Amino acid sequence: MRPDRATLSPAELGPAASRVDVKALLLRYALVLVLFVFVGVLGVSNASFFTLSNFNVVLLQVSTNALLATGATYVILTGGIDLSVGSVVGLSGVVAAMVAQRDGVPWTVAAVASGIAAGGAIGLLNGLLVAVARVPAFVATLGTMTIALGMAYVLSDGQPISGLSDAFLAVSDQLYGFPVPVLLMVTVVLASWLLLSRTRLGLHIYATGGNPQAARVAGVDLRGIRLTVYTFGGLLAGLAGVVLASRATAGIATTGTGYELNAIAAAVIGGISLMGGRGSIFGTVFGFMIIGVLDNGLNILNVSPFYQLIIKGAIIIGAVFIDSTLNRKDD
Amino acid sequence: MSVRHHVSAPGDMHPTGGGEPKPALAFNKLCKGFDGIPVLREITARFMPGTVNVLAGENGAGKSTLFKIISGQLAPDSGILAVKGRPVLVYDPRHALGLGISIIPQELLPIPDMKVWQNLLVGRERTRSFGFLRRREMVEQARKSLEDFNLDIDPEMPMRRLGVAATQMIEIIKATSRDSDFVLMDEPSSSLSSRETEELFRAIRMLRARGACILYTSHRMEEIEQISDTVSIMRDGVFIRQAPTRSLTERQIIADMVGRDIEDLFPGRTVSARREPVLEVRDFRVAGYAARTAFTVHAGEILGLGGLVGAGRSELLEALFGLRKAEGQVRLDGKPLARASPAESIRRGIAFVPEDRKLAGVLTSQSILDNVTLPHLGAFTGAGGFIDNAARRARSLDVLKRTRTKYARLGQVVAHLSGGNQQKIALARWLVTGTPRLLILDEPTRGIDVGARSEIYRLIHDLAETGVAVLLASSDMPELINLSHRILVMRGGAIAGELPRDAVDQESILRLAMGKTRDAA
Repeated sequence: MRPDRATLSPAELGPAASRVDVKALLLRYALVLVLFVFVGVLGVSNASFFTLSNFNVVLLQVSTNALLATGATYVILTGGIDLSVGSVVGLSGVVAAMVAQRDGVPWTVAAVASGIAAGGAIGLLNGLLVAVARVPAFVATLGTMTIALGMAYVLSDGQPISGLSDAFLAVSDQLYGFPVPVLLMVTVVLASWLLLSRTRLGLHIYATGGNPQAARVAGVDLRGIRLTVYTFGGLLAGLAGVVLASRATAGIATTGTGYELNAIAAAVIGGISLMGGRGSIFGTVFGFMIIGVLDNGLNILNVSPFYQLIIKGAIIIGAVFIDSTLNRKDD
Repeated sequence: MSVRHHVSAPGDMHPTGGGEPKPALAFNKLCKGFDGIPVLREITARFMPGTVNVLAGENGAGKSTLFKIISGQLAPDSGILAVKGRPVLVYDPRHALGLGISIIPQELLPIPDMKVWQNLLVGRERTRSFGFLRRREMVEQARKSLEDFNLDIDPEMPMRRLGVAATQMIEIIKATSRDSDFVLMDEPSSSLSSRETEELFRAIRMLRARGACILYTSHRMEEIEQISDTVSIMRDGVFIRQAPTRSLTERQIIADMVGRDIEDLFPGRTVSARREPVLEVRDFRVAGYAARTAFTVHAGEILGLGGLVGAGRSELLEALFGLRKAEGQVRLDGKPLARASPAESIRRGIAFVPEDRKLAGVLTSQSILDNVTLPHLGAFTGAGGFIDNAARRARSLDVLKRTRTKYARLGQVVAHLSGGNQQKIALARWLVTGTPRLLILDEPTRGIDVGARSEIYRLIHDLAETGVAVLLASSDMPELINLSHRILVMRGGAIAGELPRDAVDQESILRLAMGKTRDAA
């Protein structure tokens, strides 16, 4: 009594275009091309660009944004947004610096831990506001952004907290010849890649952003996932704050002001969809590297920082324009 | 096979004696309301393991709400839900899944940016320690499920590439491959062709043989007869009757559903006078398809478009309305329709009711008033650029009455209306500034109950009688056959053949749609 067992092909089941599109391919890698051309021109015109030391400078420069952009990637993949990370960088730097004024390894460990914990606490608060209290992410994190900055001012009395122990300053020093911030960046990025692409948690993060209702029906714990990603974002911002305080030899409340926008820009340039559910961590890496190389190169070329802002803005729009052009259906 | 019919009268919650298996699922006086409006009223019923139970009822009868309660998406206001003989408070979908309850929701839930295998297996991953996925095993598992359903779909394919029918099949696989003891299917066949529906039925029979309890809603009578052991009829949130399918006739079921006898679902066909041509399409090619089409729709004619899902009907209609790139000649009332865009099409008198109501037909979060008057705001805009609200309210009331739309007030948000009423609004908006010249309808009654359907048919019929040219694409065969004067059958983006009204039957349509010649069939 079995019906006709001929298989149903996708073509019969609905329109599906699957052809190699050269134009789309070119467009997809347009940014990479632009980057290569830019790097090439820089290398030819300027002797100091293609040097190992300059490469290290670029990596060190992007390391802070790398941590923040990775956090932003988690949050944005679930369809959320976190505007508070810049302020959290300042707050956790201040918290860590207050503890790090005492010398000794135990105090240094405590300083690092308390800075990261401060970030995690704000992240958890973001998560609770978004996942449990159901405040829209934009509003919730706009609020905590202001709160975190205020807390940093209160704790530091508006003054830089300096006089940090040598042990704490060593936190951002070198390990086996590599700057610690760069090692942290590599570790965090690789761990995030594994987590997002290889684990159940990663799959659930994509599902939550891709279609929350579908994820819910499939048994995904939306609330838990949202709490997790905002907490991750906060912890990573806390880590960035600690490292920055160590590098700057002071905890300053306003250190990270505006950093959240660079982090979001890196993720978006890298193709992480603000609607959630689409993009990969390597896109984000590409995003913060573009921003970093651009900053570095334009500095070497002596381009005024004012113009740099304009160029950076244009790159962000261009990247998203390409992305939306590629993902538009035939119409 | 007779063992399956363990149906007792509603209200009887006690085991009727030794040897009788326990009901898999039972409700006792289940109530649920929204904003004080009762949607379910004291629902009491029981369903046995190893049975297929159809819930029949018009849209708005409460079927979807009942499903949402069973699957843990909604909590009942009062009453008891008992699963496998034990009263439970299933309060979220994860608990429901834990109890072996899975659901194919009416609104399909694809995750477009994820791959097919991820869509199939999200929520029941196979993992190593630390939550690392056993990816290869999962892809294999997905591939096997797809093969079991005779679907030639690569599990690594992105979900967004699949059409509606394939997406529906994925939902079906998701729900049926969970080894669930209960599978709730809310209109699982609404966008499937008959071949895919056969696959669905095969899966249902397998589930039944395994002892699962299946609850199924459908508006297609022939499906009810084909697949179900019992029929439960709901009307206005009340269980009217639960009985073995064999004991009921189609007429009884319909009468119970609507609370009255529907004499005739379809209005008598108008005589097609073949008046002047309204729409002339020549050498027309939709972007992405190789085939070129040519046809003419006359004033007062209802031209049906048949074909399997994916044959390119929706794409053709969208291109004609200016939503999709295309090339070729299109004339409306003898004058070329150049530079087709929706705005231009509307200006020239073309009305379009798209296939996907929630996505494109209505703006669900906007009011009825805004929805009805959206395409014609220019007509109600005065000198200062302000909208004349009194005038548009008056016109809206008028067309809503004409389409027999049921609603509370004009400011009401469309989201909470039933599918039938939403569709009437999608239609009504084109009648606000007089009647259109050409009415394009894509699956106008998909997922709509019998009562609303007959009203929509009547409306289409009446419009054609006043001289409106109608282009009607439908997968519902009786609808296509009974409304159309002529039927064009499409296959692979091309017109496979034309059937005049006297030569039309389901078989000849299917034959053309599937590319079989008369001899081969």
